[in-house]
Amino acid sequence: MVIKDKPSTSVPLPTLERFRQVNYAFPKTEQILEHQRQGGKVFGWLCTYVPEEIMHAAGILPVRVTGYSQEMELEDGNAYMYINNCSFSRSCLQMGLRGEYQFLDGMVAGSTCDGARRLFDLWQYYIKTPFAHMLTIPRKFTEKAHDLYYQQVVQFQEHLEEFLGQQIADEQLRHSIEVFNRARALLRQLYELRKADAPPISGAETMEVLNASFRMPKELFNQWLEKLLAELGRTGNRHQGRARLMVVGSVMNNPEFVKSIEAQGGLMVADELCTSTRYWSDPVVLEEGQSPVAAISRRYLNNFPCARMVPSDERFNRILNLVKDFKVDGVISQIIRYCVPYAHDLPLLRDRLKEVGVPVLALDVEYGTSGSGQIQTRVQAFLEMLEARKR
Amino acid sequence: MTASEARSSRISAIIRACRIITRMSQANPDAPKSDVLYYKMLSDYYTRLLNAHDEGKFIAAHTVFFPSEILYAMDIVPMHTETTTWMMALFLGGQAEILSAGAELGLVPEICSPHRGLAGAFSLGVLPRPDAMLWSNLICDNTAKSGELVMELNKCPGFFLDHPFQRSEAEDKYLVSELEDMIHFLEEKSGRMMDWDKLSDIVARMDYQTELFREIGELRKAVPSPFPNRGFLQLLTVDYLCPGQPEAIAYLETLRDELAEMVRQGKGAVSPERFRLMTLFVPPMYLMGLMEKLGHEYGVVSVVEPLFTRWAESRLDPSKPLESVARKAAMIPERRSMYGPLGQEALQDLIDCAEQYKVDGAVYWAFMGCRHTCATVKLFKDVLNEVDVPVLTIDCDIVDPTINSEEEIRGKLEQFFELLEDR
Ligand code: SF4
Ligand code: SF4
Repeated sequence: MVIKDKPSTSVPLPTLERFRQVNYAFPKTEQILEHQRQGGKVFGWLCTYVPEEIMHAAGILPVRVTGYSQEMELEDGNAYMYINNCSFSRSCLQMGLRGEYQFLDGMVAGSTCDGARRLFDLWQYYIKTPFAHMLTIPRKFTEKAHDLYYQQVVQFQEHLEEFLGQQIADEQLRHSIEVFNRARALLRQLYELRKADAPPISGAETMEVLNASFRMPKELFNQWLEKLLAELGRTGNRHQGRARLMVVGSVMNNPEFVKSIEAQGGLMVADELCTSTRYWSDPVVLEEGQSPVAAISRRYLNNFPCARMVPSDERFNRILNLVKDFKVDGVISQIIRYCVPYAHDLPLLRDRLKEVGVPVLALDVEYGTSGSGQIQTRVQAFLEMLEARKR
Repeated sequence: MTASEARSSRISAIIRACRIITRMSQANPDAPKSDVLYYKMLSDYYTRLLNAHDEGKFIAAHTVFFPSEILYAMDIVPMHTETTTWMMALFLGGQAEILSAGAELGLVPEICSPHRGLAGAFSLGVLPRPDAMLWSNLICDNTAKSGELVMELNKCPGFFLDHPFQRSEAEDKYLVSELEDMIHFLEEKSGRMMDWDKLSDIVARMDYQTELFREIGELRKAVPSPFPNRGFLQLLTVDYLCPGQPEAIAYLETLRDELAEMVRQGKGAVSPERFRLMTLFVPPMYLMGLMEKLGHEYGVVSVVEPLFTRWAESRLDPSKPLESVARKAAMIPERRSMYGPLGQEALQDLIDCAEQYKVDGAVYWAFMGCRHTCATVKLFKDVLNEVDVPVLTIDCDIVDPTINSEEEIRGKLEQFFELLEDR
């Protein structure tokens, strides 16, 4: 339900501003530079199936490789990767080709989708980082798939130890699990606030927090997020809208896109993106007597699934749960052109949502879009339709 | 027309076309015998599919590079999804109707057209209804993602075969365990049991079949090269549809002998042979005739297709049939550069091909639905240019003729041949 009688309020949040500063400096954030000044290594990772804890436990700062934070002409990306690969992978490649990721000591990817795997291939030939590793990621959740993925994570750890010339102790891994689980728990708290009828944080603001989480040490991120949560409690900010929305689909981390929807009165309360809920949703559960690597690998394969996984109903059911929990009126599916995994899922997902009476606005976008022009017109019409349904 | 006739209409049309070509080839004393065997193989394959339900047989639809050896060993009738869309395009012309039915389902144009077309054909009910859908991630996201919609459209069960991305002992074991799970699934759904002796026989033939592929590849190195441009598609289809089947062996043995005889006599597929081409990816189905015609007009012959016809050196062991079926997946030519991390080996192979086959130029068919292949256009071009092989890239769609006109493509090819002439 959307409350309209009380107006939105939004007083400035100092900690949110600090997160913004991190993102302004992307890709070479002050926190990354500081880590390097201390002699630490920085690795890029490409997708949510790459276990960050393994790198963190080795003293490495894992940063997420993303593309330009706005829609760009991608001449180099197009020339090297052809125009029919998703603009996310072309955008990342272009940044790499232009030396903007020169600071990376390593690049780690998973066999998640064609766009990501080819990005990794071309990275190795044209950009090159001192360390490179590709993990085979099974597409199933069976026990055998878990066994295989576990072995992949062990191999990754061994490769890393060989590269660094040092062992990664279980104790360090346990510590990393705690740090990352803390970040996940804090992000969950942040999202819980968005279940309110008038949430204290907007969808675009939430995205800024998440973006910063990929570009700074998790320990520092956790401190800042704790502060932000306290500020949100104090200020009593409230965001209102014409309908409660959720965004699903391909990778997307441009707050401007969400802002453009919110500016039209859409209240973005939930998201199912690999740069949002899918990134933080499940903690690593370390069972009694279990090795930390086993716990980490189980979490990463079992995490909120990407469209690459089979059966897709695992993903659809999680989306349906979010729709219910966050009282979502309408879903915006944004799919980057040539993002095949999500494009294939759309007809089936639309059917599942239709069964529970939730309409879908399907947008074909390019990575980094700010959602202007025709998208705005379509969002406007969608919001009107959602409002009419409520009357 | 009854519902079941409608369901089979496209398949009946393919069979009719194949039978006509078979008869024409039989009547033509100059036509190679291998052609007769090839078209008979095709019409028999689709006739089995057409009659399957009347004969109480179980139909399993499956995506490309799927181990259909297992289906043959279980007496299950296979239906190759992508090849069936290709065949519809090849024999029945433009496929606007099925492609627009795919769009109606919500499949965007960026999705590989054989998959859009297939989903469209199922939703229109112009293909036999499979009793199960089998699909895998070998070789791309389109194959990995196509199965569930087909299941839903046909209200049939399905099994996803998860192919590991790289090669290691653990990954090989995983694939074998996936094959075991699939056999259990099929036994349960079809009520048919795996015949392990039959699978061993198929594996033995498959081993021989890979030898035949290599021998044919060697014969094509001859100058002039004896194999016609249209033959490339036949080489793919024979393994896609009938791996390790007697009809595949008969066709390949006959073809090998014919090519050997031509080489002995110094005869080429085109006369005179002026340019030797490397083909990267696949020419559009609707242009196969054009490629043949241009071959004769310009003296151009495709001598090697590194992505599709270079089988890795390895042997299959009939005493370990399931492990061998898994190993075959690692031997297929496509595995080298289209699936798995792109290693130095794939690039070296391009260079070796260029040298061993005395290639004058390469044509890269940039099929816009095939993202992972197009991602290598620039890299392959760089590698080939280093050994002085010019590369022409043509944007196209394999089954949809509306994307690029025949004249436009013809013009580009002619220009390229002129460039080769000037060199
Ligand atoms: S999931 Fe889609 S957007 Fe993301 S890398 Fe793969 S193809 Fe590109
Ligand atoms: S043509 Fe390319 S995208 Fe389509 S199924 Fe084949 S490999 Fe996949």
